[in-house]
Amino acid sequence: MTEEYDVEFVEREDREARFLVRGVTPAFANGIRRAMIADVPTMAIDTVRFVENSSVMFDEQLALRLGLVPLTTPPVGEFVEDDTVTLSIDVEGPATAYSGNLVSSDSLVQPADENVPIIDLKDGQRLEAEAEVVLDRGKNHAKHQGGVAVGYRHLQRVEVVGDVPEFEEPDERIVRGVIEDDGELVPTSEFDHDLTNRYPDQEVAIEDVPNAFVFHVETDGSFTVEELVTRAAETIEARATELEEAVQL
Amino acid sequence: MSYKCSRCKRDVQLDEYGGVRCPYCGHRVLLKERSRDVKEVGVQ
Amino acid sequence: MMVPVRCFTCGTVVGEHWEEFDERANEGEEDPKEVLDELGVERYCCRRMLVSHTDLVDVVSPYQ
Repeated sequence: MTEEYDVEFVEREDREARFLVRGVTPAFANGIRRAMIADVPTMAIDTVRFVENSSVMFDEQLALRLGLVPLTTPPVGEFVEDDTVTLSIDVEGPATAYSGNLVSSDSLVQPADENVPIIDLKDGQRLEAEAEVVLDRGKNHAKHQGGVAVGYRHLQRVEVVGDVPEFEEPDERIVRGVIEDDGELVPTSEFDHDLTNRYPDQEVAIEDVPNAFVFHVETDGSFTVEELVTRAAETIEARATELEEAVQL
Repeated sequence: MSYKCSRCKRDVQLDEYGGVRCPYCGHRVLLKERSRDVKEVGVQ
Repeated sequence: MMVPVRCFTCGTVVGEHWEEFDERANEGEEDPKEVLDELGVERYCCRRMLVSHTDLVDVVSPYQ
């Protein structure tokens, strides 16, 4: 790739962002997308030891619910695959056990959302369990999937080419994503995804901008969007290095 | 293995000859108690 | 039984919104559409998780 990368944020929050990347091939854009979904390791509960469970749900069902709770993932290098952290939960009814009731042995690994109901406990019911947390990839289990609803679209350039004839009923022109108008980036949600709202009575032409992609990235709370994207790029690099070494031998 | 009578809620010890029946109230529905050991379950 | 923790389709955590949604849209009189919009549950895959859910814990608990 000879072109320089150019990254520009359109929307940016902790867990959700939209950004434009210029100068990448469709193949590389897709590689990044797939790495974000399947290749970035996150922490999640893997085994649960039930000391007491007199709730209405089975141990296996509760184990799956606990496993799906997103946990904050520590910075790269703090943990490697096979390291474990223990979380424990002890709730007695009448009460609801929430993900926030999980007590961690390591302050770096905490439930990312505190209000996920695990199980509703009636009078006299009790849940006491210990859970083992491991680091793994989205490839192996969806609970380790840090990127959620990750996707991209071409950046679309809109140009006014003329006026709509005076007595013609204008059709709606639905576009989704982000458009480029005279170098300005406009998310289509600003005009309800309909170009006739933005350019009334004008004829417009839309074309895909080559090698410019608008990514939409959401995370489950394990880390920020920035972290997810950089870690995804790192995993691609690691795999490329591995391939290079394998070929040289 | 200990059981619990579903009608009178008393603990019942099953023996070979008595058949499945609560010795206190004669009820024939017995519930098996959860074992007291820690159970390890994987997230699948 | 209990609300699913995550959306089956996309994996977004939806369980945390259940109690507020239930209170406002099921118990209360508010329009489910508006409640979901305010909670930030955008996609229809996540929306159906909350809209179509019924809590069954109270129904099964007498049979313990």
